[in-house]
Amino acid sequence: MENKKILICDDDEGIVDVLELILEETGHTIIPELNSLNVKSIIQKTKPDLIILDLWMPVMSGDQILRMIRDDPKTTNLPVIVMSASRDGAEIAAAAGATAYISKPFDFDNVLVVVDSLLN
Amino acid sequence: MLNNAINKIITNHITPLKNFQNGKFNISGESVIENLELLTIALDASISGIIITDNLQQDNPIVYCNKAFELITGYSRAQIIGHNCRFLQGDDRAQIERDVLKRAVRDGKECKVEIRNYRKNGELFWNELYMSPIKDATGSVTHFIGVQNDVTLRKKAEQDLRQQKSMMEKKVEERTAELRESESFLSSIIETVREGLLVLDPKFYVLSANHHFLSTFKVSAEETVGRHLYELGNHQWDIPVLKELLIKILPTNNPVVDFEVEHDFPHIGKKLMLLNAYRIELEGQFKDQILLAIEDITERKEIERRKDDFLSIASHELKTPLTTIKGYIQILERNIPDNASEKFNKTLGKVASYVDRLNNLIAELLDVSRIQTGNIELHKTSFDFDAMIDEAIEGIRALATHHRILINGRTGAQVIGDESHIIQVINNLLSNAIKYAPDAQEIEVSISKVSDYIKVSVRDFGLGMNSEDKKRVFERFFRSGEIQKRFPGMGIGLYICDQIIKNHGGTLWVESEIGKGSTFSFTIPNNQE
Repeated sequence: MENKKILICDDDEGIVDVLELILEETGHTIIPELNSLNVKSIIQKTKPDLIILDLWMPVMSGDQILRMIRDDPKTTNLPVIVMSASRDGAEIAAAAGATAYISKPFDFDNVLVVVDSLLN
Repeated sequence: MLNNAINKIITNHITPLKNFQNGKFNISGESVIENLELLTIALDASISGIIITDNLQQDNPIVYCNKAFELITGYSRAQIIGHNCRFLQGDDRAQIERDVLKRAVRDGKECKVEIRNYRKNGELFWNELYMSPIKDATGSVTHFIGVQNDVTLRKKAEQDLRQQKSMMEKKVEERTAELRESESFLSSIIETVREGLLVLDPKFYVLSANHHFLSTFKVSAEETVGRHLYELGNHQWDIPVLKELLIKILPTNNPVVDFEVEHDFPHIGKKLMLLNAYRIELEGQFKDQILLAIEDITERKEIERRKDDFLSIASHELKTPLTTIKGYIQILERNIPDNASEKFNKTLGKVASYVDRLNNLIAELLDVSRIQTGNIELHKTSFDFDAMIDEAIEGIRALATHHRILINGRTGAQVIGDESHIIQVINNLLSNAIKYAPDAQEIEVSISKVSDYIKVSVRDFGLGMNSEDKKRVFERFFRSGEIQKRFPGMGIGLYICDQIIKNHGGTLWVESEIGKGSTFSFTIPNNQE
């Protein structure tokens, strides 16, 4: 399998760590980020193949970032998975243009299946 | 004697003598005496008592009385002549009429009084007395003539009437006072309630507004009373939906209940108001008047929203570390060393299942909060009911290795409802059946179409419950005393199930007997589009 770059942005360090561990075995490169304000510049610099976004983050929320990504012609088709522990997370994600939605707490296998399907 | 008295009068008075001589009193007789006798008879025939007193004698004694006077007073002529008239008043001396008479006698004037007199037997009678003086040629009063009528009956009727009138007046006063009291009692209630109240006439003009209404909308009574409802303020009540309710619902004798209006009001800004309207059906002056109660629920709604927000945030914050824990457990589960002991595997499995339970509890808490505030949203879609049941049971089968779950019947129905909620109910009923019948081997699930409803029953062969518990099993946070010790939990699962089924327009109930197990059943409408 070709090595891909996955950007993970969540303000909770524990979740970023767990996702890193889970996705490690896919062999892809993981770019972890805790501050949502940095996402835009990281996308420009590293050009990730997939983004995993939390919704509720301080200063800039996941759906705001997602809209920004969709508004930029260069990233408008970039696959984005939104993850949230919020009840209405799925609706917010769909409205903002998410490619997939995973609710927290997530299932190990499910995360792998969704990530795999979006990268291939 | 009478003739003497009259003769005396006649001799003292030139004019009457002249009248006699001129023939005015030539009634039938030719001589004065004859005519005088005739006059005397005429006086005796009168029903009015007539007396003559001699003003020239001391103490004005009665010198003549007719028959009627004897009849009225009960005294005989012998007992009358020579007395002053006052003997008729007995001991009743304090009458002001006596002063009137005294003055008339003193001044030689005529007068008319109604005076209390007493018959010989002591009986009271009202005497209507006309008294007039007789003067001689020099103008000095020689005699008084008194004409009396017994007006006792008339007086009594008058008195009765007066008494009745004063009684009536008293009663009216009392009633008015009572009415005023209850009116002021009612109005003090109306003024005290913490809800705006308007009374409208049938054409929606404001008849009155209570204190709370005026203070809520920061308006004065002058701006409000007498104005049309729709013209109040900046036409703030000119709301088409409200108009329709008032025009269409009220005349059907139905009240308008809990109608929510959000509006930008002058002075107070955007508010959420709850309206209740009622039309008076009672016959009478208030008929067709409209009572409009207005409650400001802006703050209440805001508090409910904040509570929801708080619970959403709390559950989100609780779930975040839980997600991490769950992730790590799953990583551990995938990386179990080959030589790991049975105990290690079992422990890891337990940790995983308890994390799942914690997650469910958080979700349930949020559900309860939403159900209570009525904020639960149904995402209704059409789904294959039998397939949904199969899927739900399949999921439970994987976990309940000790129990066999049997399915009886098919519905073949496409149901419109919130599938995820119905699955939640099925899962809850099945997991209860497993939990409370740990030693039983079977659980029966029956599904069927009953009239225009779908019915689902889940039967276990476990502990069962008594009738007390049966009544309360769908209450929030209910935990049966015995069960509490053996099976931990919060007691909100069945409460949520009950609410979900109610939201779908169905019912959830239980039949159970101690030692024989329980059957939980629910129905939901089989809406076919």
